[in-house]
Amino acid sequence: MPQKEQLIAELSDLLGPRNVLTDATALSVYECDAAPSFKAMPDVVVFADTAQQVSDIVKLANKHNTPFIARGGGTGLSGGMLSVQGGIIIALNRMNRILEIDYENERAVVEPGVVNLLLTHAVQNEGYHYAPDPSSQKACTIGGNIAENSGGPHTLKYGVTSDHVLGLEVVLPDGEIIELGGVIEETPGYDLRGVMIGSEGTFGIVTKAIVRLTRNPQAYQTALAVFETMDDASNAVSTIIGAGIIPAALEMMDSLVIRALEEAFQFGFPLDAEAILIVELDGIKAGMQNQTDRILEIFKQHNARDVNYAKDDAERQQLWKARKSAFGSFGRLAPNYITQDGVVPRTRLPKVLRRISEISEKYQIPIANVFHAGDGNIHPIVLFNERDADQCERVEHVNMEILSVCAEVGGTITGEHGIGVEKMDYMPLIFSDADLQVMATVKDIFNPTGLCNPGKIFPTPASYAKLGLQPESASGGLK
Amino acid sequence: MSNAAALRDELQRIVGESGILPDAQIANYTIDGLTPKAVVLPASVWEIQDVLRFAAAQHLSVIPAGSGSKLQSGNSPEKVDIVLAMTHINEVVEYEPADLTVTVEAGIQLTALQEKLADNGQFLPLNPPYASRCTLGGIVAANASGYLRLRYGTARNLVLGLRVVHASGTVVKSGGKVVKNVAGYDVNKLYIGSFGTLGILTEMTLKLSPIPARQALLTAQFQDMQAAAKTGLSIVGSQTLPDFVNLLVNSEHAGPTLVAGFGGDAETVTWQLEQARRIMELNGAIGVKEVEGESFQKLNDAIRAFAESENESRTVIVQVNLKRTDIAEFAENVLTNNAEMLALLGSGVLYLKMEQVEGLAETLATLRERVVAAHGSLIIESAPPELKQQLDVWGPVAPRARNLMQQLKARFDERNLLNPGRFVSGI
Repeated sequence: MPQKEQLIAELSDLLGPRNVLTDATALSVYECDAAPSFKAMPDVVVFADTAQQVSDIVKLANKHNTPFIARGGGTGLSGGMLSVQGGIIIALNRMNRILEIDYENERAVVEPGVVNLLLTHAVQNEGYHYAPDPSSQKACTIGGNIAENSGGPHTLKYGVTSDHVLGLEVVLPDGEIIELGGVIEETPGYDLRGVMIGSEGTFGIVTKAIVRLTRNPQAYQTALAVFETMDDASNAVSTIIGAGIIPAALEMMDSLVIRALEEAFQFGFPLDAEAILIVELDGIKAGMQNQTDRILEIFKQHNARDVNYAKDDAERQQLWKARKSAFGSFGRLAPNYITQDGVVPRTRLPKVLRRISEISEKYQIPIANVFHAGDGNIHPIVLFNERDADQCERVEHVNMEILSVCAEVGGTITGEHGIGVEKMDYMPLIFSDADLQVMATVKDIFNPTGLCNPGKIFPTPASYAKLGLQPESASGGLK
Repeated sequence: MSNAAALRDELQRIVGESGILPDAQIANYTIDGLTPKAVVLPASVWEIQDVLRFAAAQHLSVIPAGSGSKLQSGNSPEKVDIVLAMTHINEVVEYEPADLTVTVEAGIQLTALQEKLADNGQFLPLNPPYASRCTLGGIVAANASGYLRLRYGTARNLVLGLRVVHASGTVVKSGGKVVKNVAGYDVNKLYIGSFGTLGILTEMTLKLSPIPARQALLTAQFQDMQAAAKTGLSIVGSQTLPDFVNLLVNSEHAGPTLVAGFGGDAETVTWQLEQARRIMELNGAIGVKEVEGESFQKLNDAIRAFAESENESRTVIVQVNLKRTDIAEFAENVLTNNAEMLALLGSGVLYLKMEQVEGLAETLATLRERVVAAHGSLIIESAPPELKQQLDVWGPVAPRARNLMQQLKARFDERNLLNPGRFVSGI
C-alpha cells in the first residue's frame, strides 16, 4: 500500500530507520501481550526516546489517519496494547530514565518506560519503595501501570496506582503535550489526571509521571497458613478484615495451585490441603506481635491446620517467591490458560469460590485460584488446550459464568488487569447503556478521531448478542 | 417565570409540601448576596429528575447543596434560581462491616454516619472543615478533607462508586462497590471535587477504616517557623507513621505550635510518642505536652474548625498547596500579613485565615503568583463577594486543560444548569 510506505518513510525520516521495525518477524514480537489468546499484527513498530518524538509520531499518525498504540513491557493481561486495526505501535521502553528523586517530599519523576521494580531498586538504599507491586513488576513499566491503574498484593493496604501518581505529562491524541496534576496533591479543576489513569491508553500517551515514594516499613511479619477447606480460608479472610486488622497483603492459593507449585519448585507445601493463605503485616515493630497473635487466633478459629512464620527476611522472600512463582507453574497444568480478574465483596468470597468450583465441574474445565483475597480480587485460572475446539467453546461459557457471578454479588469484572479486548463483551454485565455513554463521551473529548488505541473497552452489538441482551434504547446519557 | 411564589408552587407539585423550604428560611441559602427563588428538598431520585427537567424547560439554574456549609465557597454563581438541597435523601443503603465499605445516600450527615459505623469499631477517615454538620455529598463534591489526609488520603482515595443524576435527568453510576475496580474509565474522579457542576451526586460507596485502639498527640511550642517545620518534617520522615503533623500560628502563642498525632495499637502509639518527643526535644521544642482522651478531641475539633467560616461573614480562608518542604519559607513570608495559619505540614497544605480588607485581593494575587511559580496552587476557600469580584477563587488552569474541562462541562450539562459560574475558568 503506497500510503503505508509513505508513512513508514516519514517515520524513518523522523526517528532514523533503526528505530522503525517493519520486518514481519520483528513485528510478530509485538502481536500480543501476556494474554496470548489474543493476537493482532501492527503495520509498524517505532521506538521513541522523547515526548517530542512521541508527539511527532502521533501527528504523523493523524496525518495518515492511522491508529497508534503505546506499549511498555508487554505484560498486560487483557490485550490492551493490541493493534486490532493495525497501525503504529509506539514502544516506550527506551524512555526509561528516572529524572528526579526527592526523598523529603517523597516524590520521583520518571519516564514511562521505567520498569516498576527498578524504581524501587533505585530508592531502596534510602529506605523507600514504589508501593504498587503487580506480580509482573520485574518487567512491567510505570507507563503501563498508569494505563491499567495496576494493583498488586500490597494494594490492600497501600492502594492502587492512581493513589500513587500525582502528576502526568501526556501527549494527547492530537499530538499536543500537556501536564495534568503536579507535584502537589490537588490542582484546581476537574481531576483529569485521575481519569487519565486507568484509561488503558485510549486518552493519550503518558511521557512522564510524578509518583509517590513510600517509606519502607520498620518491620514485617509474614505467615503462611494451611487450611483443609476453601470455606475456612475465605472466612478467615473476612474475619481478619472485620476485626479491624488491615494486613499489608492477604493472598490465597488453592489446591491446584499448590500442586503446580510443588511439581515445579518443591516448596514443601502439603498436597492434601485445599487452601493456603499468605498474610503479611508491616509497619511499626512495637505492637506488631499483638496483631500477629490476633491473626493466629482467627486462623485457629477457622481450623487452620498449620501456620508458619517467616523468621527472617530470607524466609519472607521465600514465602513471597512461592506466591509470585505461581503463574510460572501453570504450564504444568495445561497448555493454555486465561486469568480472570473479578472482584467481589470480601464477605462473598466463600459463596463465589463455591460457584466457581461448580462452574468448573459443569463444563469439565479445571480452574485454579491464586488471588488477592484481602481485596476480594479473585484470579480464577481457567486451564485448557487451545487446539481443542470443544474445550475452547466451553471456556467461553466458563468465562461468562464466572464474570456473571462477580457481577451478581455486587462485584466487578476486573480489579487490575483492565478490559482491553478481553473483557469488552462483558461490560454490559456491570454498566448500563447510560453509564457506558458517559465513558464514550469522555473518550470522545480526549480522543475524538478514535485513532489512539482503537477497538478497546466498549462492547459492540455482538457483545450484547453474546450476553443475550438487547442494548437499551440509547435515549439516556450523553451524546 | 418571574414570580418566585408561582415558581415555588410549580416546584411543590414535584416535591410536595415537605420538599419546599418555607419562605422564611430561604435567605439561609443566600450565595454571595444572591437569594434563591426556591429551595427544594427532594425525597427521591425521581423528584431530582423532575426538578432538573423542570429547571431545564424554564431555563433556571440549579445549585446543588447539602447542609449549606460551603455556600460561601467557589466563585460567585451567574444566577441562583433553585437550590437543590439533598438533606432529605440521607439513608445508609448498604453496610456490611466485614467488607469495610459502606454505601450511603448523599444527604446523610458525616456525624450520623460516623455514629453508625462506630457501633462496629469503624469510621470514615475524613474530617474536613464543617465536619459537625456537612453531608457526604458535599464532602465528595468539594473533595473536602482535613488533617487525617496525611495517613488516610482524601475522597479521591476513598470513593469506590457514585450514583449521579445528570442535568438531563439521566441517572448513571460510576465505579462500583468493591475496593478494586478497573472496569472502564475511572469516571468517579471527574465527579469528585467537581463542585456539583457535572451532576447531582445521590449515592456513594466508600472505603472505611477500623477506629484505632488508641489516639494521642504531642504539642510543642517553637521559637520560629523554620525550627517548627523542620521538626515536623523530621517526624514525617521518621519511622513513625503519624496520622497528622500540623503547625498552628495564632494569637494565643508567640511562636508556632507543632501538633503531631498518632493512632493504632496502644503499644504502637506509645513507641511513636516517644520517638516524636525525642525529635521535638532535639530540635529545641519548648514544653512538649502529651494529650489524650477528651482534650485530644477538643484540640482536634479546634484544628478542624480552623478553616470554617459562617455564610456571609467577612472572614477569608485561603488554602495554599505546596511541596511540604516549601511550606515554612512561604508561611514566614505571610506572617507579616496578620494572618492566622494552620499547616497540614505532611500533606503540603497551608490554610490562612484573615479578615477581608481593602487591598487584600492584590496581596493574594501576588501570593498566588509566588505559589504558582513554585508549582503550587492557591485557592480561596471562602470569602465575601467583593473579594471574589476582584480575584478568581480557583486560580489559573493551563489553556489546553481548561479547554478539556470546558468540553466536559458542555457535554455533561449542555444547558449549563448546574452551579453556573462557580467553578474554574467560568465553568
